[in-house]
Amino acid sequence: MTADVADVAQAAAASPEKPRFGPVAWLRWGWRQLTSMRTALVLLFLLALASIPGSVLPQEGIDPAAVTQYYTAHPALAPIVARLSGFDVFGSPWFAAIYLLLFTSLAGCVLPRAFRLAKSSRQPPPKAPRHFHRLPQATSFAAARPAEETLESAAGLLRRRRFRLRTGDGWISAEKGYLHEVGNLLFHIALLGLLGSVALGGLFGYKANKLLVAGNSFANTPTALDVFHPGRLVTATDLQPFSITMTNFSASYITTGTQRGEPSSFNAELRYTAQYGGPARKYDLQVNHPLNVDGVQVFLIGHGYAPVFKVTDGAGQVVFNQPVPFIPVDTTGLTSDGVIKVPDASPQELGFSGQFLPTAYETITGTVASAFPAAELPRVILVGYAGNLGLNSGQPQSIYSLDTAQMHQIDVAPKLLAPGQSMVLPHGLGKLTFTGYRQWASLAITYDPGQMPALISALAALGGLIMSFLVRRRRIFVRAGSDGGGTIVELAGLTRSDAAGGFEAEFAELAVEFERELSGPAGPDLARGDDPPAPTAPQAGSADEVALAQSKGE
Amino acid sequence: MTRMPRVARTAWVAPVLTAVFVGAWTLAVTACDSGAIGANTPVSSGVSFVGSTYNSEFFAPGSRSLAPAVTGTTLTGKPFSLTAERGNVVVLNFWGSWCAPCRGEAPVLAALSRRFQDKPVRFVGDNVLDYPASADAFERTFNVGYPSLNDPGEHVALAFHDTVPPSAIPSTIIIDRTGHIAARVVGAVSYDGLEALIVAVLDDKS
Repeated sequence: MTADVADVAQAAAASPEKPRFGPVAWLRWGWRQLTSMRTALVLLFLLALASIPGSVLPQEGIDPAAVTQYYTAHPALAPIVARLSGFDVFGSPWFAAIYLLLFTSLAGCVLPRAFRLAKSSRQPPPKAPRHFHRLPQATSFAAARPAEETLESAAGLLRRRRFRLRTGDGWISAEKGYLHEVGNLLFHIALLGLLGSVALGGLFGYKANKLLVAGNSFANTPTALDVFHPGRLVTATDLQPFSITMTNFSASYITTGTQRGEPSSFNAELRYTAQYGGPARKYDLQVNHPLNVDGVQVFLIGHGYAPVFKVTDGAGQVVFNQPVPFIPVDTTGLTSDGVIKVPDASPQELGFSGQFLPTAYETITGTVASAFPAAELPRVILVGYAGNLGLNSGQPQSIYSLDTAQMHQIDVAPKLLAPGQSMVLPHGLGKLTFTGYRQWASLAITYDPGQMPALISALAALGGLIMSFLVRRRRIFVRAGSDGGGTIVELAGLTRSDAAGGFEAEFAELAVEFERELSGPAGPDLARGDDPPAPTAPQAGSADEVALAQSKGE
Repeated sequence: MTRMPRVARTAWVAPVLTAVFVGAWTLAVTACDSGAIGANTPVSSGVSFVGSTYNSEFFAPGSRSLAPAVTGTTLTGKPFSLTAERGNVVVLNFWGSWCAPCRGEAPVLAALSRRFQDKPVRFVGDNVLDYPASADAFERTFNVGYPSLNDPGEHVALAFHDTVPPSAIPSTIIIDRTGHIAARVVGAVSYDGLEALIVAVLDDKS
């Protein structure tokens, strides 16, 4: 008795648990919403939307100097933008949230589908439906022999065509084209593989840029790189410890015709070691012929000139003697801008800004320009400044810009300097000599461990997609029953996926063959030929390939 | 028959998924580039790794990694070997004359090298991405009394790759008397901060 009461009480307690949005139901609902196609599309749109500020606002990782400029231009707004991760959009928590949600949404959509597809590809064909005339393809004809024999022959015929069979009382259900499901499955798994590969690259890969003057060398360490975008899990010790010396750089240009001045070839002669103290190897780096060290690719992506200057200060000391990379501002003549900072000159710190003109000429208006990118007539023209460069304050500044706020312009008329010529500075400030030039190359260093897996996954996805589009999964149903004196054979066809078309023709051909074999005179040999005979098609290639070939032929 | 609606779904799911994925992928890829790599825009600025953030780490005597056997030539042409300094605490400073935070911290280092000159402490610089004329001028300006390795290609930094690499310019690494890395300061040092670290390393019971 008491037990009964307890049971009832339990049942009563259990009954409100039926789906009325408890926490579990909410979770399930949320998961279903997240993994729906609509949500994935919304998230993708959000991702696109969220990356807009990344292209509008200056980004810390790409151009820190521009961020600093933004701070000075908008002193009130900048801290708010910074608080909202506006200067690091692609590393911001909200961007990561969208990306991770999209990732989860896709994975949550694709994984269960993959399981479902795997299951469905192993399922036997379903039972034959009762009424064939409702199916898209159906036909019937009279057979010569009794129902059972006819069905056996039909089974043999279908087996010869490599259908998977399921038989029942008076019916056969046959199915073919499982490769469609295999393709679908392959596509889904490959999609996950792609996601994983991209994540792999994002976590463990890195990108960097390095400007290297001919004759100089650098090591692959964060401190030597000009621009460094590490993946989320990359630390300084993860960088492959190679070092590269550029022994020479040469560029040649087209000298005649309409393409005059266009580059015809670049060659950076490198010597590199894969690790500290390792053997040195040689490599000729050219555009689109990257150097591969330890899985890292080094590309040649740009070039320019680095005029060499020697500065003797007012005290007679040589305080500066080195190439200074100038950045090209025009591509036709490779006119390049640059600055020289001489913080250790006395009595005053010196700074210069100016242009390098590879093939200099004077225009009609009296200005100067460069006519050709090769250094046919190299000249520099400089404006000098004296005062405080602001370097000793310890505040980082770009080596490509000169802050003249605490400096005054030196009173020397700017003129073109040829190699070997000097600019004597008044008031005992010293002398600058343009001694010559070197060339520099800009290198892009990329490491993406996800690249190969991504390529393989993409190819597999494409292959799977093509397979699932071209191979159709189709079913043939056969029923044989007695109708008065004779046997009536009913034949029906159904395809689940006929993107490429052609099932109608295949069915028609099959129907003709069935009719020929089953309604003909009952020769005993033919009637009993239901044990699997030699296949009509060559053994090589799977059944689906044969089907594919057939459907293509139609 | 009843399965037909699901058939229809299968047909559009695949292409839409592809579109979504390709879209997301292109976006992710382009987002990372954002025009940082352009034909003739090789560099954004020279300040990326010359931060002025003060960041120091001290490693307890049991958890120190052995410093690499660095050898090289000083700016004045003398040979230098790190292993030959065993028995001394070595303060190794990575610097360049072009680097503003290095110039900012130079007086601190010069003063501390004099403060510890009677102690078994050796200051050594590692002059990176630089040229001799500028480096020498820097040494004169700040009256630096200790030698510096001439290391334009950052080979010394590379030698520290597997241990405690200098992750910015300037960086300062303190090596204890047994040749193990005891501390690292990334960014400019302060007088009090570096002094405390050197004293701590001098006092270890190792």
